[in-house]
Amino acid sequence: MSDLNIVKSKMNYGAVWILAKRELIGFWRSKSRVISSLAQGLLFLFIFGAGFSSLDITIDGVPIDSRAFTASGIAAIVILFTGVFGGMGLMRDKMFGFMKELIVAPVSRNTLMLGRTLGIALQTLMQVMIMIILSIIVGYFGYNLSLIWRVILILPVALLASIGIVGMGLTISTRLRDFQSFGLIQTFIIMPMFWISGALFAFNSVPSFMQIAMLFNPFTYSVDLFRLVLLGVSYIPFWVDLIVMVGFGTLLILIGARSFNKMEVT
Amino acid sequence: MSEKVIDVRNLTKIYEDGDVLAVDNISFDIKKGEIFALLGPNGAGKTTTINVLATLLNGTGGEASVNHYDVSKDPDKVRKSIGIVFQEPALDTEMKGGENLELHAILYGMPKKERQAKIKEVLKLVDLEDKADIYVKNYSGGMKRRLEIARGLIHEPAVLFLDEPTLGLDPQTRRKIWDKIRELNEGDLKITILITTHYMEEADFLADRICIMDHGKIIALDTSENLKKQLSGDVVDIHFEKIENQIVLPQIINQIREIPGIKNVSFGDAKEQLDMMPMEMNLPKNMPHIDPAMIQARIRDIMSNPKKLIDAWKKFPMASQMFLNAPLEAKKRIANMFEDTLLEEIPVEIKNEIIKIKKGEYKEGDQDFEPKLSISCENGGKELPLIIQKINESNLKIKNVSMHQPTLEDVFLHYVGSAIREESSDRVKGIKNLIQMRQLRK
Repeated sequence: MSDLNIVKSKMNYGAVWILAKRELIGFWRSKSRVISSLAQGLLFLFIFGAGFSSLDITIDGVPIDSRAFTASGIAAIVILFTGVFGGMGLMRDKMFGFMKELIVAPVSRNTLMLGRTLGIALQTLMQVMIMIILSIIVGYFGYNLSLIWRVILILPVALLASIGIVGMGLTISTRLRDFQSFGLIQTFIIMPMFWISGALFAFNSVPSFMQIAMLFNPFTYSVDLFRLVLLGVSYIPFWVDLIVMVGFGTLLILIGARSFNKMEVT
Repeated sequence: MSEKVIDVRNLTKIYEDGDVLAVDNISFDIKKGEIFALLGPNGAGKTTTINVLATLLNGTGGEASVNHYDVSKDPDKVRKSIGIVFQEPALDTEMKGGENLELHAILYGMPKKERQAKIKEVLKLVDLEDKADIYVKNYSGGMKRRLEIARGLIHEPAVLFLDEPTLGLDPQTRRKIWDKIRELNEGDLKITILITTHYMEEADFLADRICIMDHGKIIALDTSENLKKQLSGDVVDIHFEKIENQIVLPQIINQIREIPGIKNVSFGDAKEQLDMMPMEMNLPKNMPHIDPAMIQARIRDIMSNPKKLIDAWKKFPMASQMFLNAPLEAKKRIANMFEDTLLEEIPVEIKNEIIKIKKGEYKEGDQDFEPKLSISCENGGKELPLIIQKINESNLKIKNVSMHQPTLEDVFLHYVGSAIREESSDRVKGIKNLIQMRQLRK
């Protein structure tokens, strides 16, 4: 028998909702977080969008507007950043004691985990939408009625993509003990996943060792599916994207739930 | 009124990693409407006991029930039966006071209507009804504590757990919290309260019954009145001037003990006994997360046994570092624990240091050692002159003497002090040990 006494009651959806709401409210109230996440996205969007605008990109022989290419990649990358950092909110709760209040409540840890995951996923979704709408307004995607259903279709894709990333953020923060290790996570997990995801450069324009590295990065598939939905073209068949995303999401959420269930709060 | 809200039978808790016995076969019960205090030094097992009762930890042996639900079989129902205020604040400071309560009520499954009424009610109870819309980060320490107490009461628990509720609060605020706790217990609500504390006056002021714990065991359990009665007679406190040769001290203690009518002699005052363990230790960053209570229990255990200490030094570089960086006083206490035959087993670095200390190469630290004795006796008026006479025969100089009726502090000292002494068969060695431990823990 382990040291921890874990409640194994069924899911409490009222609790799931209030915890998700807490994440959203918390994000909205912390204006510095809202502003910095928007500003970061905008910087990426305009600097990379403008910087890469002269490149010629073709996928399957179809020429692609490089700004649209970059904008769709950046929209996907927002998930990576907000998802992992959102998961780090758990770290804050752990350090400032609030986690105890949650842990001692008569709800299962899976309930706590689901509420938080949902909250961060929704928050990520909002930011992705803001990024896409901004790109549309400045004309990166051109003006086209098909954008309406493309934007609607991106919602479930973004949600699916964020599940795995949030799971990753939660797993990391249940195991970290202080904010100092944060830089490590940034340098060794987020940045590599960002640079070799194909968000900024085309899959067929890089050397083959890089292509292999990209195929090993689970986030490459999310970026690819984003492109398929937003631009109508992609490098990888959509069903491969879907399988990898579902697999990665399920795996990371399970790992996250497992380490959350084992987490000691004292 | 005799219904048992909490019933603990032979509860034992051994932490898995480290094999530390944190709670050792304890039994007690708490009756409805009672304020029950767990009193003891840090690392005595109080918080572990609370954590088992709050279903955060599994017990290793024995049984415990809260509101008639078994803590290991029915943790869900137990959790609904308790309200808990932790040692450190556990509020979401980025939310408003009212929102913290709302979240709590939803987690505990209360329907909306009931929720709103109850939140108003508990806020009023702790005089925060006009502060519900203020962010918790703008609350004062006392307000936070009151909000936590209110939160603990929302779901109408059968018992409220308060773990060191006034730790780190200023005296005025502490007094206010005490009054509030009493009010909750005495008013219409008659809330049953389990409180852990290491403030003696807190236990004395609040509790109907007090349970003194040390080394994971219950060493006394009774009302404050009865505990004090057990120590009939007087208590004489003697404060010495600084002394050069500490070997005199155990001798004089033995002489005092032999005076007829003397019941117990212990070192220092109870406050020091309680504060002897550091609250927060600076552990290296890469240590796995372990319950601090467990670490404290472990250190207490190691410090009392030279063999274990040597083992620790050999295994953990951190332990030897701790020794080398310790204040001179502490080093001396440790050095005196080792007989010459044991020296060979000690790692070289530490051995050299200990030999240096034993040879008396360091001197400056002695100035700070001004020992205090607390002597309980049957009739102070009669025995005090004899005690003074004994002391005057030695070279010790008295700085100050006072005599008073036993307080809860003396009761505590009586139990905790003697409990430590009994561990050693040889009396003088035991007293030496006691000095050592007291100094170590400073």
